[in-house]
Amino acid sequence: MSAVRPGLTQRFAAAGAAWRDAHLYSLASSLGRLGSRPLGNVLTLGVMALALALPLCLTLLLGDLEKLSGSLRDSREIAVFLKPGADEAAAAALAETWRADPRVAGVELRSPAQGLAELRSMRDLDEALAALDANPLPWVLVFTPVAGSDDAALAAALGELPLADFVQHDAQWRERLAAWLDLGRRLAAVVAALLGLGVLLVVGNTVRLEIQGRADEIAIQRLLGATDGFVRRPFLYYGLCQGLLAGLLALGVAALARQALQPAVGALVASYGGEFSLALPGLAQVAGVLLGGAALGWAGAFLAVGQHLRRAEAQA
Amino acid sequence: MSQALLRFESVSRRFASGVTALSEVSFELGANEMCFVTGHSGAGKSTLLRLIHASERPNHGAVLFEGRNIGQLRRGHLPAHRRRIGVVFQDHRLLPERNVFDNVALPLLIAGVHRAEIGKRVRQVLDRLGLGTRAPALPVMLSTGEQQRVGIARAIVARPPLLVADEPTGNLDPQLAFDVMQLFAELPAQGTAVLIASHDLHLIRRMRRRVLVLDHGKLIDDYRPEAA
Repeated sequence: MSAVRPGLTQRFAAAGAAWRDAHLYSLASSLGRLGSRPLGNVLTLGVMALALALPLCLTLLLGDLEKLSGSLRDSREIAVFLKPGADEAAAAALAETWRADPRVAGVELRSPAQGLAELRSMRDLDEALAALDANPLPWVLVFTPVAGSDDAALAAALGELPLADFVQHDAQWRERLAAWLDLGRRLAAVVAALLGLGVLLVVGNTVRLEIQGRADEIAIQRLLGATDGFVRRPFLYYGLCQGLLAGLLALGVAALARQALQPAVGALVASYGGEFSLALPGLAQVAGVLLGGAALGWAGAFLAVGQHLRRAEAQA
Repeated sequence: MSQALLRFESVSRRFASGVTALSEVSFELGANEMCFVTGHSGAGKSTLLRLIHASERPNHGAVLFEGRNIGQLRRGHLPAHRRRIGVVFQDHRLLPERNVFDNVALPLLIAGVHRAEIGKRVRQVLDRLGLGTRAPALPVMLSTGEQQRVGIARAIVARPPLLVADEPTGNLDPQLAFDVMQLFAELPAQGTAVLIASHDLHLIRRMRRRVLVLDHGKLIDDYRPEAA
């Protein structure tokens, strides 16, 4: 065995080097093809980049919306505004009673003074609050329901309390917001799938034209004993490079769109007394766009070359 | 005669149109042998070469190359078979965007030969055919004779046991055609049998080699100068 091993190792090394050379040749050949028709390739890349950028921008926008509405959606609190006559002792007693309820995880007591301070922290309300002679705000009990409990039933029970003046529970609003966001996510997925198919077709058509222009070369390669893999490989690299470049361009487009929208969004949120910054693509999104673009480019090329090879075989 | 490299056994090839290109053709070609196939246009010369190259399959009979029936090769085995046969075309069929070196290197690249070995073998064969200084030139920059020599270099660089050439001197002047034939004549001594389809009887006579004569798809003569 010891006499055989060096030979095997050398053969493997030679096969590996030949494999590497063949792939380098294919890669160089595909890059040469990309550079040989700069205008046509730039136009194709532009179309592919826009097709990849649109679902990316939609996903980023949804992420921003979720972030913006996250605190509202996650909050399951039920606020019970007590009647104006209810004092601190009555509010505290009521809170103590409800803390023992198995549906309630916690009860927080908020005084009229705390409520007024909260209002003062908001913009544009200073003048209106200054005009008040006394604090008109009532005592408020803020209930946090136990996870998994029926919030709506608890809110209804709290509304029946003799001391309760008004119960604030935005369950329906939150459900609608969640439904809209879910719809947005599904829409983004559908748009991504459709535009992904578009990218696949664009690459497939580009590679098909490339194949037509090189039909003689392919025929000669086959006459010289080239396998389907040898013929296919440069076109796969060509599609892969196109997909990668389109992915990079798409990220650039998304960054430019963020730059263009940020001032308007910032001003809009600031008018509500907040601050907000549109998100840039995260690492996972960058990787997803680049790998997705590359995979679509590769798949489009694979389909186009496969069709050509099958047709050539049928004609032979 | 040396051991048979190629054997046609009652081979017939008829097209869907009903035209019979070859009819019951039988012959053998030995390793290290040079042979011409001649006949008028439509005699079946090109069909015979395409059968060897497995671009076509016989309707009847068997084409045996190195003992294997080419007509029964599965699709996946065709590339390996074609890599064992060098082909020279009348119109050269060089890749116009690749230089001479890359054109000649293509069969080695297809065969998965290491880059360093490719460089060595391409330079060797270019030097042998007097094209050493033309390696960086594109085909369009070459004369017709040079293009044909590049085509021959490409066909022999992988050292195939058989080289087939279809009218390789059809576009060349008589002297250049004879020079190209001399190149072919050197190959059998280097381990490559040669089968050339040509209708240039004058040139064939000058070469004084074996000649297969086809007429309407039938092999009507197998002329061997030494036996004449």
